[in-house]
Amino acid sequence: MTARDNRVQTILWADLSNGSTRLEMLPEEWTRKYLGCRGINARLLFDEVKAGTDPLGPDNVLFFGTGPMDGLPVGMGRMSIACKSPRGTVAEGSFGGFFGPELRRAGIDYLAIRGQADHPVYLYIEDGRIEVRDASHLWGLKTNETDAALRKELSDPDVQLRYIGPAAENLVHASPIFGNLNNSGGRAGCGEVMASKRLKAIAVRGSRGIRVADYDAFLEAYKVLRQRLDLATSRDMWTPVWSTYGAPVLARLFTDIGNLMTCNAREMRWDFDKATRISAENYLDNYVTKAKACWCCPWPACQKLHEIKSGKYQGFKGGNYWAAQPVTFGSLIDNDDLDWLLVISGLCNQYGLDVFHVGYTLAWAMECFENGLLTMADTDGLELRFGCQDKDGLIDLVRKIAMREGFGDLLALGCAEASKIVGRGSERFCLCVKGQELEGIAERNLYMVALGVAVSEVGPDHTRWYPPYPCNPSLISKEELAELGIDLDLRLAFQGRNPEQKGKLLRWFTISRAIVESMPSCVFLVRDTLGLDMRPWWNLFKAATGVELDYPEFVMAGERLLNLDRAFNVREGYRRADDHPPIRMATEDVPYFGYRKLDAEDFEPMLDEYYEANGWTVATSIPTRKKLEELGLGDVADEFDALGIEVE
Amino acid sequence: MKRIYVIEDLCNGCRLCETFCSSLVNGVFDVKQSRINVIKVPGEEKDIPMVDCNGRCVRPLYDDGGPTCVAVCPTGALIYEERDDAVARRLELEAAREEHGLFKVIAPWKWPLPWRRPGADKVTPVMETDL
Repeated sequence: MTARDNRVQTILWADLSNGSTRLEMLPEEWTRKYLGCRGINARLLFDEVKAGTDPLGPDNVLFFGTGPMDGLPVGMGRMSIACKSPRGTVAEGSFGGFFGPELRRAGIDYLAIRGQADHPVYLYIEDGRIEVRDASHLWGLKTNETDAALRKELSDPDVQLRYIGPAAENLVHASPIFGNLNNSGGRAGCGEVMASKRLKAIAVRGSRGIRVADYDAFLEAYKVLRQRLDLATSRDMWTPVWSTYGAPVLARLFTDIGNLMTCNAREMRWDFDKATRISAENYLDNYVTKAKACWCCPWPACQKLHEIKSGKYQGFKGGNYWAAQPVTFGSLIDNDDLDWLLVISGLCNQYGLDVFHVGYTLAWAMECFENGLLTMADTDGLELRFGCQDKDGLIDLVRKIAMREGFGDLLALGCAEASKIVGRGSERFCLCVKGQELEGIAERNLYMVALGVAVSEVGPDHTRWYPPYPCNPSLISKEELAELGIDLDLRLAFQGRNPEQKGKLLRWFTISRAIVESMPSCVFLVRDTLGLDMRPWWNLFKAATGVELDYPEFVMAGERLLNLDRAFNVREGYRRADDHPPIRMATEDVPYFGYRKLDAEDFEPMLDEYYEANGWTVATSIPTRKKLEELGLGDVADEFDALGIEVE
Repeated sequence: MKRIYVIEDLCNGCRLCETFCSSLVNGVFDVKQSRINVIKVPGEEKDIPMVDCNGRCVRPLYDDGGPTCVAVCPTGALIYEERDDAVARRLELEAAREEHGLFKVIAPWKWPLPWRRPGADKVTPVMETDL
């Protein structure tokens, strides 16, 4: 079969209401304008899902996007999933693994799913051929059971799968889409939308090769990328640590500097011995069995498999321990039992739940319970206190959330909706932005994080402006920054609690990470100077696609994506007033170190600076016509006009 | 004669070796053309590189002339050595695993920083290996 190139991208439209499918070419111009993956998903989403569409109805479209770099050794298997969130915003998330390259090898770059099937189905795709198959026998199975059942049914060890668990089927808040057992993506509601289409799984197998336009240039560009990311040559002190231990290595450091959300963030320091027990060091020494990786990642062990070797949960296996688990099922609910922590987060994966949703909602419920807003009568007799005394009760509660039984049905709504029902001041304990739970990163002493979480179009998602913790500003000189067109004083911008430069810094981080996710590649790899100097990425993109575009044009693709996401939210009625931190962060000081709350005096100027740097109207956060036209998005401004949205 | 040796339990299944190898002849990334394949078993628990190559690479990525698959391997699961040196490497890994949990996921010769030896309070500088 002939090899494919990367200049023109294809889209497969599937309508589950009538079973029709159609394979189309996307305009060649789009590869230059939006690159691919997240960029093209943003364009498709803005075009296809109009204002006011019912998110769980047949007209919402679920896009699975690969991109020109997928299937090449820089794509890292990343894929972007996009749709309209059940909460009304853009829902976009991405995952790694091996699904993206396989889809490209099957001749398909984008998969767009609309309609609703009348019974559970799964899609089987093989080399451009698509079949809608019955999935009644899979509906209700956990993610690991679905994986095993489909692999047995298809009897092909290299088939790639994406599926949802029982939680998404029951439309539990924030349920993501899973794959390769322990990878998940799209926590802004993509799993719920997939379930609303009665689509349980997608299986894909491809056999085509992928050709780069200029192989020699590609190899040279790869060597530069590899040099900046390789453990032996990277100039970034985090590279070796991050790529083996991972984020939980920060637990002990953070508890010492008041940066670890503890007991629902009413405290920011935890007991050091407790932090030691849930640290990455303990995990790696006593639980890890094997390293795992996404497609062609240059890092050795960003993912890991683990097994509990003794005690009550002996034999429980799972994978991956990143920033989510030690915060959500550790410090946030004051639990230092790593055995139980791995069991409960493993069960979240099996039920198809989002760990941030479950962790933050449990912490909210615990604080409500301790303040008398919830009683044993509400919680089905569960003593819901920080410290997690009733561990079996909490494990059963996770099942009840996924199955929407009893008290679990309230928590399945997510923290924001649940606190509206409970009322009586419980909103203060709810750590949400735009209806979506936070992600474990402290806000009150990292102002860029506070701003990034508040303005994000999908709700809290730190991968949009990764990394949240400043890197070493001396890696790049002022002259180089100027040459790259970045108007920032890094030393000032990287000061955690200084509001100055945060708007401009966040803008740059957002658009540059948007480029990385549009190629696609993994945002964890913006180490060394790869998050400031995008030229290595640019060279890879040019060599792979053969598209000639200059550097400012390349960077502009990221800005285009950000404006399209913002425009989608504007069209749904989101404005500046929706970009704010959770009540607790805005009104309560951290009890030590003098870290103050994020009051309006500090926060509002950061917002002003961010909107202004983006060329948006400061009072409303709506992109201006001038900015949209400059980006070649005049049609977006026209649509605003037609809808009566005041565009400056 | 130098050969490519596989340390199976260090393989993380990333397929970098397979993907790069497949492209070396004609610039097309296509697993079917690769001289090394990573076999996966359901359940994600095993990744098994199978080598069908004498190690004389058609296009080494770096100037040292070593095979591209070995050069791109992130964990050290692939080594290109004489037989006796390969045995020494394998034993070096086993010794390192006794010392630190880190070497469940990466080979000691791929780890750039010193590590704390058992019983020691402090990290000592990396020793030059005998290889």
